Amino acid sequence: MGEVQKGLFSVIEKLKGNAELELRIVLLGLDNAGKTTLLKQLASEDVNTITPTQGFNIKSVASHGMKLNVWDIGGQRKIRTFWKKYLENTDLLIYVIDSADKKRFEETGMELSELIDEENLKGVPVLIFANKQDLATASPASEIAEGLNLHTYRDREWQIQACSAVSGEGVQDGMNWISNYIVHKKK
Amino acid sequence: MAEDTEWVVESIAGYLGSPEWTIPVADFMENKCTVFDDEDENKLTYTEIHQQYKELVEKLLENYMQEVGINEQQFLHACSSPFAKSKTLQAVFQPVLATDDFQMFRSLMVQKNMELQLQALRMIKERNGALPDCLVDGVDVMSELEQQEMRILQEVLKRSKEEYDLEMARHVQFEEEVGTTSSSCSIDSMPNGMSLKEAVQVQVSSASKVSTVATQKGEKRSAVPPTRDKEQQSPAKLSPALAANLPSEMGSECGKTLPAVRVPPKASAAPTMPRENSSGQAAQSWLEEAHKEAGISKPFAELSAAQQEQLQQRALYLRQQRDKLHALKKEQRPKQATPEDVPAAPTPAPGSQEGVPKKTVGPSTVNPSQPVSNNGQKPKEISVEEKKKLQKRKHLAEKLKEEVIKK
Repeated sequence: MGEVQKGLFSVIEKLKGNAELELRIVLLGLDNAGKTTLLKQLASEDVNTITPTQGFNIKSVASHGMKLNVWDIGGQRKIRTFWKKYLENTDLLIYVIDSADKKRFEETGMELSELIDEENLKGVPVLIFANKQDLATASPASEIAEGLNLHTYRDREWQIQACSAVSGEGVQDGMNWISNYIVHKKK
Repeated sequence: MAEDTEWVVESIAGYLGSPEWTIPVADFMENKCTVFDDEDENKLTYTEIHQQYKELVEKLLENYMQEVGINEQQFLHACSSPFAKSKTLQAVFQPVLATDDFQMFRSLMVQKNMELQLQALRMIKERNGALPDCLVDGVDVMSELEQQEMRILQEVLKRSKEEYDLEMARHVQFEEEVGTTSSSCSIDSMPNGMSLKEAVQVQVSSASKVSTVATQKGEKRSAVPPTRDKEQQSPAKLSPALAANLPSEMGSECGKTLPAVRVPPKASAAPTMPRENSSGQAAQSWLEEAHKEAGISKPFAELSAAQQEQLQQRALYLRQQRDKLHALKKEQRPKQATPEDVPAAPTPAPGSQEGVPKKTVGPSTVNPSQPVSNNGQKPKEISVEEKKKLQKRKHLAEKLKEEVIKK
């Protein structure tokens, strides 16, 4: 059954006959981390009218000749249980952290390590955005990387990028990493 | 080989145009599209519905391929042939592609939802001749109307109380004239103007006790005029009604709410009825409503602490019941908005709507929140909510029109 399904859907997928390279990116992180702001920043939309996400947002962004389908799923605790329904066929995980919310570093670390263990995200590269660097109380990206034990990740590519989703600073650097990684992988 | 492919493509396209495919797919979409709005943010349920859709399409296609005897390779080959890429066939393949493309699926569902809304609008127009005002000027007057509704309700309650007081005063006068006021009855030992109000309060809090009092009184005063008599016996009927009335009433109410709206002129005639036949009975029930709804007015202060407490509990209970009713109605409404339900409902509405309140006038002491909302509030309230709904539909319709035109 499972195999038949896969076969049929790969057929349908090919039906679309996409000339350009399409990537499915899932954007996760705790509530108030800045996922939707980041998404809107990526899509060059207004970032001033963002409310807590109850469901999920999707934006298709053209970047480096690729089409990035970015799925931003609400981060509130009660919604996190739904995250795993969105992980299938994911090419890349973007994980957003509020660098100024030190009290919840542990919580965000737990959520990240749970994601890393997900079968559907096996070997999927992770880009971590150490967001809200515009705030004076923000921890530097290197400190967060250490706290998350990123150096122990051996089974996948990872990158941590300091940024401010509100101002857009650092966001493009993260996207460059994605395109570099993809180019290397596909060639 | 090329011929072979062509045959397969034609067969697939034929299948995608056949009722075997179109009916279940259209069915699915019509049933599930109501939650799909044009908000930017997606609801989590969309994903679930998309998943169900995938399963449906997968099942249908598998059955088809088995039946026709082609395998996935042939299917793919056929579908990627230039023949299948023609404009006409692209549209046919769209529902298939939507399994893999959430955004496409979403837009299909949103469009379907708008179509249904538009259809509903058209039906309203056909039935009523024209669209209601609220659909023409497009101003949101919801909260204003709500306030107005509250004012009307309060006015109704006030008037019913006045009427009741008047009625009581007349009765007291009458009794004095006839001279039947017996000193043996405990209630009558109270100040005359008060006694009946008091009795009414007691009826609510302890129906059984009252019924005995009432029967006693009835025996003692067989010479009393009929209206008086009737009034006293009504509380005795209460206690059985208490159990039976509430649930059944709630059910029937909810079922009828929407149809009632369709004929607002007729339905609005209902509220005046009970007031016109303002027998003591009707006035009595009205007063009780007034007491319940308005959080108990004058006589309340004159009651004992225990009675006051009982009354308050009662009021709380009634409020809860009313809230439940509201919730139920809200739940029902979206369902009734679908086109299948819309045409079915209207005819039985006026009769049954008027019938219900009439019946409840007598035992209404048991279930006070109902007659008031029935007679005074309900028709207006519904039309308000309905208006809001219609307005939303109008917006959707406009958007859809825009989209269609753009295309």
